[in-house]
Amino acid sequence: MTKFVGKSVKRLDGIDKVTGIGTFTSDMVAPGMLFGKILRSPHPHAKILKVDTSKAEKLPGVKAIIHRGNVPNNFYNSATGIFMSIPPHEAVLDQQIFSEKARFVGDEIAAVAATSEKIAQAACKLIKVDYEILPAVFSIKEAMAPDAPEIHDPKLTPVGKNIMAEIFHLPPGPPSDAVDNAFEDADVIIEEEFNINIVKQCQMETQAALADMEPNGKITVYSTTQSPHAAKAILAKIFSIPASKIRVANPPYVGGGFGVRAGLSAKAEIMAMALSMAAKKPVRVIYSREEDFIASDTRHGVIVNVKLGAKKDGKFVALDIKGYINTGAYSTFAKEVQGVLGTMMLSIYNIPVFHYACHSVYTNCTHAGAMRGFGNPQGNFALERVVDVMAENLGIDAMKLREKNIMKAGDHWFLPYPCSSSELAECIKRATESIGWKRRGSLNSDSSHIKRGLGMAVGTHCSNAGPFVVDYDNAYVAVQSDGSVNLAVGCCDMGTGTSTTLPQICAETLGLKWKDLTFTFGDTAATPFSTGNHASRGVYAQGTTVKAAAEDARNQILEYAADLFKVSPKELVIQNSIIKPVSATDEDVTVVDPMTLPGAIEETEALPLPPPLDHGIIKQANTQGALKGISLEGLSYYAHIRNKQFIGIGRTIPPNAPPWHCVAAEVEVDTELGIVKVVKLAAAHDVGTAINPQIVEGQIEGAVVQGIGFALNEEIIYKPNGQQAHASFSAYMLPMAEDIPEIDTIIVEANDPTGPYGAKGAGECGIICPASAIANAVANAIGVKVNELPMTAERVYELINND
Amino acid sequence: MNNIIANFILNGEAVEVSCEPDKMLVDLIRDDLDLRGTKIGCREGECGACTVIINNEAVNSCLIPVAKVIGKEIQTIEGVADKDKLHPIQEAFIDKGAVQCGFCIPGIIMSAKALLDKNKTPDKAELREAIGGNICRCTGYVKIEDAINQASKVMSETIVKGEENQR
Repeated sequence: MTKFVGKSVKRLDGIDKVTGIGTFTSDMVAPGMLFGKILRSPHPHAKILKVDTSKAEKLPGVKAIIHRGNVPNNFYNSATGIFMSIPPHEAVLDQQIFSEKARFVGDEIAAVAATSEKIAQAACKLIKVDYEILPAVFSIKEAMAPDAPEIHDPKLTPVGKNIMAEIFHLPPGPPSDAVDNAFEDADVIIEEEFNINIVKQCQMETQAALADMEPNGKITVYSTTQSPHAAKAILAKIFSIPASKIRVANPPYVGGGFGVRAGLSAKAEIMAMALSMAAKKPVRVIYSREEDFIASDTRHGVIVNVKLGAKKDGKFVALDIKGYINTGAYSTFAKEVQGVLGTMMLSIYNIPVFHYACHSVYTNCTHAGAMRGFGNPQGNFALERVVDVMAENLGIDAMKLREKNIMKAGDHWFLPYPCSSSELAECIKRATESIGWKRRGSLNSDSSHIKRGLGMAVGTHCSNAGPFVVDYDNAYVAVQSDGSVNLAVGCCDMGTGTSTTLPQICAETLGLKWKDLTFTFGDTAATPFSTGNHASRGVYAQGTTVKAAAEDARNQILEYAADLFKVSPKELVIQNSIIKPVSATDEDVTVVDPMTLPGAIEETEALPLPPPLDHGIIKQANTQGALKGISLEGLSYYAHIRNKQFIGIGRTIPPNAPPWHCVAAEVEVDTELGIVKVVKLAAAHDVGTAINPQIVEGQIEGAVVQGIGFALNEEIIYKPNGQQAHASFSAYMLPMAEDIPEIDTIIVEANDPTGPYGAKGAGECGIICPASAIANAVANAIGVKVNELPMTAERVYELINND
Repeated sequence: MNNIIANFILNGEAVEVSCEPDKMLVDLIRDDLDLRGTKIGCREGECGACTVIINNEAVNSCLIPVAKVIGKEIQTIEGVADKDKLHPIQEAFIDKGAVQCGFCIPGIIMSAKALLDKNKTPDKAELREAIGGNICRCTGYVKIEDAINQASKVMSETIVKGEENQR
């Protein structure tokens, strides 16, 4: 029986957030603080010939102006890959604080620190920049054309025009004959190309940082980063400063992330830090919503070509995938995203022969990077559409075809960790039952212009980023002399609930009263290293570490207590912050002063000195049980006055494990207007053990709704002048309350053998299948090929009328 | 430009401030009055993170110049709880797990409060209309609606009880 794990414990950050007292970076102020503003390029591609700051410098209130000429020009990559890549892989270093060229509309040219935001803004306008305007390209195909402009130094694109780094293959190396041979064996081959939209995280708090350089050279940076420790390491590299001089902290709340600040918060930390170093004052930089849209990572727009071969009985025999990723002006996470896109497409079904090739392409769009799902939603849409087309061609029900081919726990697969658990079959069963799959094909009458359809999709994901990149965590569990416990983890809680779930794991493992535990997080000065919060790793990876640290502390406590009880540590447990014999129930125990236990008496008698005075601070519980127990408070103080503290340390490398999911959708399509309405989504998720079911449900619901936006509306389009056409909430049209269909959230628990208490990743999973399932439902409703997202009314209208 | 003097009631207390005439209410509340629970998500009236209640109506404080609130009654998230006792809406947001990153939550609570103060038993359409100007990117609004429904129930039951006590 667990006390905290598997329980919907109320979030520890709840009160702070419903009363408005919780602090976010954009709420931070510091004495003498200046306000930073950034001058951005109006051109998508232009050489910067001259930056003249003379007029701006004269504006009263301006305290510092930075530009390419007065800051370090180290090449870097704002994503965590810069220090998490494992040789022979290496990060693409293509960013600088200020580049010699502007490569997208919004690229940074200069920045100002002033006594007010207004003055800083006015000063930016007074900076005169001479540009040599260059031709620009925005689409993957344009950028790869022979006459396209070179966006970066050709050294970064050795394979071909604007092709970033190398071409990624799975299995490594060019395709072997085995792939072609396998397709020859197939009875049916389906090949389709898919074009997938660029979308935006739209986290509610824009990128923000407050940097404060102390006279001794130490720098504190409060920021919205999802990975304080990684951000610290990246800043150290950019500024050539020892990492030990930099402290990065969340204050502690972060207004959403969804990947947009895995690593740095775009350039918020860099600009605040560079301006603070120049002005020798604290400087705060907060992006406007427009800046957040145009100058922080988007999701990658992708072209995916999928070729799937199957036997008549439905068995998949070969899969060949080609991917092209629009990484925009800089690489950030492109290398990792192209890896995840392929690996996740290849691990859903057990297919004997496959090949995947993918590369990223520089364009003059905003740099694309991490967004929840990390390449997986794009790949899933393409593959799951092809599986539906295959089902139709084979005359096999789309659900049965999936059931026949899905990967199962223990199956041999190509990933460098085992397929340790899977309840995908159960997810399929539960989601399709919920949607009423049996009705599929009998929903429409010929007379109505409203057509109904059912669709489904299945998928998997990861529970951390290893072993592909550096991925480990540490945790401290420090028992205080009053018996209260501090847990410290270098994680971020961007809203996903890590600051509640990790304490649940600690309290469970250590046997604590909930009120005895406090949690320190999001601060590099107060927590040991963690790679951060991305890749759905919070509960799985950091949870593993927390459990190890709590076990370490528990073992120390029980060993120490065992000497007092004169028993072996195995005969004792900690429950509700009471150390007692394993056999004792709560009622059986009388809590006593440790001094009265046999081991303590023996020790006291052996001492030449008088026994310590009764300290009188331990609150004794007066139960009348038959067995003796001691409180953690009593033991900790007893130990403290003997110069002993219990400090548990967790140091773990999580192996990784696959979560699984099935989403089933019911839609209505208005064939006169092209409008798609989602009637219901059933989302069944195998997340291993749900440590906090209410938080897991919240993760799934939020991600599913982002998936609806991705499917139907959300899209960033670039105008011919390089400006985003959708750089505000009113233009971007993400889902609002009135857009939400019935959502049935189903948690299927698998108890993974590698995760803490059986948990796996959950944070990203909800966004992977909704668009695929909705597209399959639309295709089912109106009998057209849906090979592009989003399914706007205009696009669907065209599909209906051009078919 | 000369500063203006503005008098209004903020969370039940009379306030007098001197500020630039073009200052927006959200900046006054956050920067001058140090109440940072009201958030800024877009500054264009498109996300609702800055929602406050002025004379019983939920409004985007990023679009309201300070001069427009002279003589009015303003309530911010800091004025919702009764000292340490949370308001039923706040309780419900915690109970139902409606809080994730929390950045939109003060604004959504103010929208919900403006609704429930006028209409204790809103139907689904009325509820969705009331929070129709608030973006939440974390929750998908599912648990937010659950929370407002729970608060509606608690608040309407409290009134019935109060009426019974008066009898």
